[in-house]
Amino acid sequence: MSSNQEKINRVFAERPWDNKTFFNRPHWTRRRFFELMGSGVTGAFLAERYAKAAEVTAAGGQPKNTAKNVIFILLAGAPSHTDLFDLKDTSIAVAPQGLHKAATINGVYFPTGLMPKLAQAISDFALVRAVRSHALVHSLAQTWTQIGRNPAAALGSIAPNIGSIVAIEKDSERRPGQVFPTFLALNSNGAVGSGYLAAKYGPFKVTPNTGGIANTTNPDGAVRFKTRNDLMHSLDDVLRVNSPNSDDMQDYNDFYREAEGLMYNPAVNQAFGFSTDEAKRYGDGTLTTGLGNACLVAGKVLKADQGTRFIQITSNDGWDMHQSIYTGNNALPAKAKILDNAVSALLSDLKANALLDQTLVVMAGEFGRTVGPLSGAAGRDHWPQQFAFFAGGGVSGGRTIGKTNATGSDVAEFGWSQDRYVYPEDIEATVYSALGIDWTKTRSDDPLGRGFEYVPKTGPFQFYPVHELWES
Amino acid sequence: MQKPRFKSILGGISLLAFSGFLVIHAQDDRLPVADPNCTYFGKLREKFQRLALNAPERVRAAHPLSTMTDQVSAMLSYVPGGSRTYSYGQSHAAGSVDSYIWDDFKKNNITPAPLTTDWEFIRRVTLDLSGRIPAPDRAISFVADTASDKRAKLVDELLAKPEWVDKWTMYYGDLYQNTVTRPSTSLQRFPQGRNTFYQWIHDSLANGKPYNQMATELLTATGPNSYEDGSINYLLNGYITGGPTQDTTDGMTAAVFDTFLGLAYENCLECHNGRGHLDQLSLWGSTTTRYQAWQLASYLSHTQMARTPVDPSNNNIYYWSLLDNTRNFTADYTLNTTTGNRPARVAPAGCKSGQPCFTVPPQYIFTGESPKPGENYRVALARHITTDPQFARATVNYMWAQFFGRGIVDPPDTFDPARLDPDNPPPAPWTLQPSNAKLLNALAQHFVQSGYNLKALMREIATSQTYQLSSRYDGTWNVAWEPYFARKFVRRLWAEEIHDAVAQSSGTLPSYTMTGFTDQGFAKPSFAMQFPDIAGTPVGDFLDPFVRGNRDDQPRKTDGSILQALTLMNNSFVEARLQFSGATPSQLIFQNLTRNNTDLIDTLYLNILSRLPSTTELAKAQAALPTATGTPRNQAVQDLVWSLYNKVDFTFNY
Repeated sequence: MSSNQEKINRVFAERPWDNKTFFNRPHWTRRRFFELMGSGVTGAFLAERYAKAAEVTAAGGQPKNTAKNVIFILLAGAPSHTDLFDLKDTSIAVAPQGLHKAATINGVYFPTGLMPKLAQAISDFALVRAVRSHALVHSLAQTWTQIGRNPAAALGSIAPNIGSIVAIEKDSERRPGQVFPTFLALNSNGAVGSGYLAAKYGPFKVTPNTGGIANTTNPDGAVRFKTRNDLMHSLDDVLRVNSPNSDDMQDYNDFYREAEGLMYNPAVNQAFGFSTDEAKRYGDGTLTTGLGNACLVAGKVLKADQGTRFIQITSNDGWDMHQSIYTGNNALPAKAKILDNAVSALLSDLKANALLDQTLVVMAGEFGRTVGPLSGAAGRDHWPQQFAFFAGGGVSGGRTIGKTNATGSDVAEFGWSQDRYVYPEDIEATVYSALGIDWTKTRSDDPLGRGFEYVPKTGPFQFYPVHELWES
Repeated sequence: MQKPRFKSILGGISLLAFSGFLVIHAQDDRLPVADPNCTYFGKLREKFQRLALNAPERVRAAHPLSTMTDQVSAMLSYVPGGSRTYSYGQSHAAGSVDSYIWDDFKKNNITPAPLTTDWEFIRRVTLDLSGRIPAPDRAISFVADTASDKRAKLVDELLAKPEWVDKWTMYYGDLYQNTVTRPSTSLQRFPQGRNTFYQWIHDSLANGKPYNQMATELLTATGPNSYEDGSINYLLNGYITGGPTQDTTDGMTAAVFDTFLGLAYENCLECHNGRGHLDQLSLWGSTTTRYQAWQLASYLSHTQMARTPVDPSNNNIYYWSLLDNTRNFTADYTLNTTTGNRPARVAPAGCKSGQPCFTVPPQYIFTGESPKPGENYRVALARHITTDPQFARATVNYMWAQFFGRGIVDPPDTFDPARLDPDNPPPAPWTLQPSNAKLLNALAQHFVQSGYNLKALMREIATSQTYQLSSRYDGTWNVAWEPYFARKFVRRLWAEEIHDAVAQSSGTLPSYTMTGFTDQGFAKPSFAMQFPDIAGTPVGDFLDPFVRGNRDDQPRKTDGSILQALTLMNNSFVEARLQFSGATPSQLIFQNLTRNNTDLIDTLYLNILSRLPSTTELAKAQAALPTATGTPRNQAVQDLVWSLYNKVDFTFNY
């Protein structure tokens, strides 16, 4: 142990109250806490995060390698965990009569009223309830979730999206003729990009639309396109094929070839385009939703088997419910319905197409919300305790990992090998493990030359995949 | 075989291109800083600086420094029309860029690429300096010009253009991370703050403000309102939510050392000692401690950024103040944190609040200097930094990377201060870090001697033969030669440059409305390079695929992608500029459609690609165009224009 750490331990030993997480200290009230911290916090557990690199072992990980694809659904705005996937009686008690219905299915206490369809599919997914966010600011925590590390840390500012790591790892597995991008981002215009990695590993951002991908047809039609594209190549191949000027120009030609592969390609419209009727099935039966469309396209894209391996979907359904969480047209029941319809349809279609076993579906917000009684505005504010949802890809469904206390404010039982909170970094490690990627790998191509760790290794403890998900 | 060829290229270069230039202008190499009339650089400088920077905002404008500044600006700012305030002879004269580069070529037995043609040069330098493609008539007159110093004259001309200001305002907007909001840290500048900072950068460049003065202003700015004082917006970059004020102090420090000294590793040291972390990366970093980083951060420990709501009833919209020595900001960097974004800051055991050991006083680790008694900490920091040779080195290296595609130290923000001196090489196994340490020092020295004149720096770079080497390499290229700059590395144009090249060549200029900008009294931009930001700009669907970055956690890149190809091939922004009728016809097509095919093809090439077609290209294009007027020919013209917009010699600066 470093002498620095010893010093800190001594200080803590002299002032034992300092050893508790700050929001559990007796003299801290939540109100006081937010007053002092503004809107955001990070925990004392971060205190020695970066100080102990030398002490982390370098033994490689043994990934599960049971999944081929990942669909990662980010519930932007942070849904209330104690009303949804970690339902608590203290929430039921403050909700209007009848809003919540609850039942214990397979031992999982579940909001059958708000999410009846997912309740039916409970044997398909597992819930990790020991999850904690590091930060309570939306943008920061959303970035954290997507890159699996502290955005404010040394490499945070150039860190690639988890999907970009998957894209570069799986690039060699692409088969000739596969035309879809490896990393697809649906409804995720704000998705973190490829960081310091090449742009080709970045998210291919699409807002699902019945017509398919934008710019895959030419406004002047296929015939004209072919004429002009042929003309261009006849004039330009001398520069872009075996370019005398630079490999970069040759690479650019490769991008053109791949883009040409997406254009006027029936596989593109088949996977990315859809009929309103198809989409209604992912909506409420009569109306379509953005999340539903994205889930629909995600399933179709994987079915097409055209090289896409990681799909990020953002639910922009307004989960940041500081006010009137239970009442009004746009309250929790409406949002839960959107989620319930879309995700249950996704799971069932993946299953029908024999894709669920090879596709890990992960769903989480960037943090949780306050528990028990509602705030003055009848809403719930930001809170670090949260949940994560895992389905498919070899994960055993119908179970929970970790338990929270009666109100859901904190973890009562961690329930996994590391016996601590599950952090975004652990979820990141779980994704890599499922895909057969060694989560302990360090790339040496980062611009700082510091070594880019897939999952950060410096910290008071090692981040680790939640391998309990694979146990039945 | 290589040697004679090398010699003939060398001889050819010096004879042909620059011999006249040397003879005529050799006596013009005077240094403005040596001018005895310029008191700004004399003994009084520090005094003026201190007085001015400590003065309240309203007094400052009337202060002697303002007069001095005008004097300096007038002397140093670039005066177009051939008046060279500063010029080092190129053409391999001792001390020139080329002399150092060619030394390396000889030492490593490298045959450099040949010189650019005039066509290549005018397109390359116009894009690099002004972000635009050349006007067709200028390209023709340039090529036709027989004067031996025409390339240097062209560089002068471009440096004096308003487009130069637009391009480098965008560049420094990126470097200073001037954006409306930074999602990764939750900093909100709001459009008004972003706009004043944009204006500050723009005006500083337009007025030829010396770069050390720009840095000093950004480092020392204080003010009550970020909507009104552009320069206070820079240090706001340090803001990070969810932690004690030390986190923000650290953030400011990390930003300053990255921006002005090219030391991104300083950020690591704010969390932990270098040993065990930077051992393989930085000799300097590996021996630097967290305490020393705190000593640097201490310069900013008396600085408070605080928000004031614009409307007292709405806390969500606010402006920032940046003030020194306010209440609660009178103590030095304090070791009393246990939570936040960085590891705990803990005083030595037994040290109590109020004792000296509980705080860290400022010290500039590279010189051991500290603020003078009573001196404002940030004024002292600005003084230490701008007089540090590393400041000049970092600035010229950032700039070099813009012109050559890689820095002499690369990446340009990973400097290792312990491995820079060619006369004191580091102990084995370390090697000198810069690919050409003498060149880097010489450039930095010239930059200082020019009075930190950015235009003089760019002029020195752009008139060098090194910059004018072709990207085409006919022999066998060895990748190991990359650090020696033996050929030009092509660069995919910035998003803004591609947009502006399409707009300019088509002759159909858009006029954009931008919320938070044009509704705040700014003129409607026609060119993307005039946008004040990356976030929230018009034509995002065209620009975004070209990886503009976000001035927060996503850097600007020159990579290609499938989306870029799809966008260039099919996006409506390009497609609209193929039309010869309708609401916004392409003036290029519309006005030239009546020319005969050969003239038409020449015109299209000249306008879009800034060159004439080769014989083969002309023949192929002619074969594609029917001679009879009418719809088939019109469509064939559109197809040809489309083809030119999708050529790699349109998308790249080569």
